[in-house]
Amino acid sequence: MTSPQIEIQLIAAIVAIACAIPGVFLVLRKMALISDAISHSILPGIVLGFFITHDLNSPLLILLAALSGVITVILVEAIQKTGLVKEDTAIGLVFPALFSIGVILIAKNANDVHLDVDAVLLGELAFAPFDRLLLGGIDMGPKSLWIMGIILVAIIALLLLFYKELKVSTFDIGLSSALGISPVIMHYGLMSVSSVTIVGAFDAVGAILVVALMIAPAATAYLLTSDLKKMLLLSVFIGVFSAIAGYWMANLLDASISGSMTTMLGIVFLGVYLFAPRKGLIAVLYRQKQQRTEVSLLTFLLHLNNHSEAEERHINHLQEHINWQRVRSRTVLNLALKNNMIEIQDDLVSLTDKGKEFTDLAIEYIITNKDEKIEPMKDDFFLFRG
Amino acid sequence: MTITEYFNLIWTDYTLRTITLGTAVLGAICGMLGSFAVLRKQSLLGDAISHAALPGIAIAFLITGAKDTNTLLLGALVSGLLGTFWIRGIINKTHLKTDTALGLILSLFFGFGMLLLTFIQKQPNANQAGLDKYLFGQAATLVESDVRLMVIVTGIALFVLLLFWKEFKILLFDADYTKTLGFNTKFIDVLITFFIVLAIVLGLQTVGVVLMSAMLLAPAAAARQWTNKLSTMIFLAAIFGAFSGVFGTAISASQNNLSTGPVIVLVAAVFVAVSFVFSPGRGLLFRQIRFQQNRRDLELQKTLQFMYGIAKTHEDISHPHAIRILNNFHGFTKKTLQKLEEKQWIILSGSQWSLTEEGFQKAKNLYNQSSSND
Repeated sequence: MTSPQIEIQLIAAIVAIACAIPGVFLVLRKMALISDAISHSILPGIVLGFFITHDLNSPLLILLAALSGVITVILVEAIQKTGLVKEDTAIGLVFPALFSIGVILIAKNANDVHLDVDAVLLGELAFAPFDRLLLGGIDMGPKSLWIMGIILVAIIALLLLFYKELKVSTFDIGLSSALGISPVIMHYGLMSVSSVTIVGAFDAVGAILVVALMIAPAATAYLLTSDLKKMLLLSVFIGVFSAIAGYWMANLLDASISGSMTTMLGIVFLGVYLFAPRKGLIAVLYRQKQQRTEVSLLTFLLHLNNHSEAEERHINHLQEHINWQRVRSRTVLNLALKNNMIEIQDDLVSLTDKGKEFTDLAIEYIITNKDEKIEPMKDDFFLFRG
Repeated sequence: MTITEYFNLIWTDYTLRTITLGTAVLGAICGMLGSFAVLRKQSLLGDAISHAALPGIAIAFLITGAKDTNTLLLGALVSGLLGTFWIRGIINKTHLKTDTALGLILSLFFGFGMLLLTFIQKQPNANQAGLDKYLFGQAATLVESDVRLMVIVTGIALFVLLLFWKEFKILLFDADYTKTLGFNTKFIDVLITFFIVLAIVLGLQTVGVVLMSAMLLAPAAAARQWTNKLSTMIFLAAIFGAFSGVFGTAISASQNNLSTGPVIVLVAAVFVAVSFVFSPGRGLLFRQIRFQQNRRDLELQKTLQFMYGIAKTHEDISHPHAIRILNNFHGFTKKTLQKLEEKQWIILSGSQWSLTEEGFQKAKNLYNQSSSND
């Protein structure tokens, strides 16, 4: 590995961590799309800042751009407060307008300005190592490494300082106000931090892919855990992994680094979305199928309990009577047999003692409106699941 | 070129006419279908879909190697639909929320699209120049066949809209009721979503991936302010959209270095801002005026009520009293006093006021009448 390669991966990893941490809170607060809005509407701020400083990495530019990010949030909330449109419409109205202003500003000054929209939107990590920070003639490394490094340190410091406050205000706004932690300050604090991060990162990975780096690791981690600390750690890990793996994929395909980082994030998310142990698609579908069978089982047992006459309990009549398909009735019948809930004599189905006990308890819960107790009951009876 | 020149040229110049017609039709169809997106609280779905369409364009190019617009748009349509249904899958089957799902699909698909685009760029046989026009849109590349396609799609959309009008409307406002009535809600839902995706894909070439969502939203959000009736709203949104298209094209054509997409979006934003402020029913301006008028009326009635309280203790209701005894707390200002006199409820003489018979009756029935007055 050459030294620019190491530097690029270092920058990518730092950007990934810096984005993942605020991203977790945005996802948990259901404000993921605000990051999309901010990432677009910082454009006019960047352009204005660039007119003044002529340097994409100047701190003033970052501040101006972050300010326009915060203004976006304020505008969205102001529009939302009028009650004329819903929140998502407000977001969708504000950022394209601001973005358009940015595009037009660039277009009108295309001759004087060395800045184009592609660069802002898409970024190019490969060039990052060439823009170096020189201090008194000494090469201190790439500028963006320093900028993102400082932002990352600030983010981690803020996270450690305000972890408790962030946690409370994220999960229980009422409680946090009661405890004297202002949700408004927390909200705007988080928004400012997100803005600064997005602005710092847009240069490296582009405005749209910043959104991926913020949302995807957090969403992936959220599918794997319900613990805030674990979620933070996991999303940082997923972000860094995708950043490094994405870099090598880009190397292999000779394509955009930011694009392959996002694709990597997408692949990781797809994998977790499908295979996550309890919240993944396959697990959910399996559980839904299981529950459907178990509800059928309960219906079946109740039916048996209600009828003492022979014809209602004849094995061939059950199908037409409860209106089940053949496969379904066989599954349910087998499940009941396996659980020793029923016995079959001369093609007549009847409840066993265990089945009777189970059914009575279930009826008890159903008529007293305690449906939620049926689920633990299945464990109490050591039920083989559907 | 000035704007007047533009409007003269529009009848003679082929390119200008095509572009103007194209943006107008696009604005109309976006406004029409955007109304549904806004009312279904899916405003940002448009943003997600337009970004999700990018890899489809790249893959269509990779497979066919052709830059034929229709092929590329077909690819965009497929990947847009794929994105939409994945969003649904995420929302329905996991505990991730709508915003996260939208943001995820938006950024992941777009990133993948960028990967493909840069990959295509590096290919030896790449005559890919022009693919990136889908990023920001170039209205200037519209040709007659594109416009024809837009008109056809708009026609079909309009036809389907009219055909399924009652179904769309009922699903929009009461999904559960629709289900109990026995309509196939899934089918209606997919149909309307399909047309929204179609409108978005059509717009990619003109306004581009990034700004497409505003095309969809802005006319509808503006139209919403003027009416509470679905048909009127859709009609208005189509008109607003078409006008944004025409004005946007006109402004951008009359200046150098102005790309059409952003200008159209800004014109649409102006429509929204004007509607927010000036619409008679919901607008901020009239709301404020109504608010102040109500407050003035209330203060007037408060003063009258206080006067009534004093006057009824006297035998002669028109017995004069000093103005001095009224104060701010009773809603009293010089203006309210004048107003009361204008209405002939009191008579002012010097620093004294006295209630008239009419004013006395009015005050007496104030609370009985107030309900019928509204």
